[in-house]
Amino acid sequence: MEGIVLALFLCLILALISKYLSVPAIPFYILAGVLLGKAGLGLVASDEISHFFSEMGLIFLLFFMGLGLKTERIAANRAAVLTSGIIDLNVNMIIGFIAAYMLGFSISESLIVASAFYISSTAMALTSLIENRKLMLREAETVIWLMVFEDLILIIFLALISAGNQNLIVFLLKILGVLAVLYAFAHYGKEFLISILDRDDELPILFTFAAVLTTASFSIYLGIPETMMVIALGVAFATTDPDAFEQHARPFKDVFLVVFFVFFGVTIDFSGGVNWYMITVICLLAIVSKLISGVLTGLFIHGSALSGLEIWGNTIARGEFSIAIAVLYGSPLVGTTIAAMVIVTSIIGSFIAKYSTALRKGILSLGRKKSPPHRVHLGR
Amino acid sequence: MSAMSLRSLTLPGVGTKYEFETDKGDTVAIFFTKTGTIQMYTLQKGCTTPSAAEMTPVEARRLGNILTGAIIEADQESVEIAFSALADLRVTIHSFLIPKTITGRSIEDLQIRAKTGATVIAVCRHDRNIVNPPPSFVFETGDAALVIGESDQIKMFEREIMVD
Repeated sequence: MEGIVLALFLCLILALISKYLSVPAIPFYILAGVLLGKAGLGLVASDEISHFFSEMGLIFLLFFMGLGLKTERIAANRAAVLTSGIIDLNVNMIIGFIAAYMLGFSISESLIVASAFYISSTAMALTSLIENRKLMLREAETVIWLMVFEDLILIIFLALISAGNQNLIVFLLKILGVLAVLYAFAHYGKEFLISILDRDDELPILFTFAAVLTTASFSIYLGIPETMMVIALGVAFATTDPDAFEQHARPFKDVFLVVFFVFFGVTIDFSGGVNWYMITVICLLAIVSKLISGVLTGLFIHGSALSGLEIWGNTIARGEFSIAIAVLYGSPLVGTTIAAMVIVTSIIGSFIAKYSTALRKGILSLGRKKSPPHRVHLGR
Repeated sequence: MSAMSLRSLTLPGVGTKYEFETDKGDTVAIFFTKTGTIQMYTLQKGCTTPSAAEMTPVEARRLGNILTGAIIEADQESVEIAFSALADLRVTIHSFLIPKTITGRSIEDLQIRAKTGATVIAVCRHDRNIVNPPPSFVFETGDAALVIGESDQIKMFEREIMVD
């Protein structure tokens, strides 16, 4: 218990510093965990309590993701979502997989690394767009829908990989069954749900917490992982009053997720040896491959490679979902690699996102100097 | 009003976007973000880089009040509230400093309701508030009146009563 208190206290200080410097906090939480845990000072070890808290963090993260997936909106924006999404998926998955495989990971490990390599941090991308005041740029919308597409792919990935040795069709039918039951509950119980959410007392927050935990606990009986259960709950509840659910689930998500990040850092173990060469290659490729997919998306969607730079800057950071994949399916070596990738890409990403507009201008003026302009540009 | 097309768009995870182009070709975009702040972007015609301002909800309301022309003096404030559930009912509450011309006259005498449609819901006198003043209520110098009504009614109040 003292371990969690110490870790949370350190995170509080780091959160204050990161907000002050307006850089993402996630890499610092992980580094704090590494510093306090096995690989560092050994002050904090994970125990049952921290394990439970971490699990809550993951569950609420995925419940939140489900709440944000409003299927009818995705259908309305299909073309925009699909083109950029498919470029991003193919480029990054393929580069990630080949790199991991060449570096000596097994095929299944390479798939895990590639998925973590592919999926950008939705939280960091959206925060960066808001904080760097880029919402009006046309690339912002592309980035936002790209994040939605990546969420969908993550769900498919989680479903496929957690099916394990079950019959895939039976497994998918079970998930659809759960989704149908939850949808029916949300549909026929809509008035009841909204009457609970509208109350001013402790009921809305208690109900949200209990609903998420209850749904997660059913996973044991159904043979469906908790992750799929809570995403399905989020998707079903999104048809009632998603904003209210987000409001009531946010405190749990925010606190437990910090514990999740710290204790992911705590469990990182360097005793098996660290392959710095491998880590450097993966980190560099993680940045370069998003540049390739960003420029291609810029060319296809906006007809401009420079647009791609903006998309690149805001999607470099890997974060919460990469770590979730590492925690759920990664071996220690995979975990360490993904941790390093998240730390490096999120810090570099936040800087590139901040200066991408200047970068664009720089490249533009450089291009003008090289080839003499056909007409004189007045002013800026 | 000309054919100004206002586009509204929900961006998953970010919030709601409102965008319109002015007659002169400038673009204004407003984002209500999920973090609770409001960002306003303006893009001058022919420019590529927008400029942005981030506001708290209170600041955004103040800006809105200035833009609707509701604030006449800095110490007179106006708030417009929209009730989306009631067929988008919009009411404005405006504070006015009572001028010398109407001191000594009552609400009934001034025919505020009949002339303007607006209602005086409270009067602040010597740091004490009188809520729901009766028709016989007589204004004194230094009073501040809080008036409620639709924005047209408030404008009428300003024209008819305040300069009486």
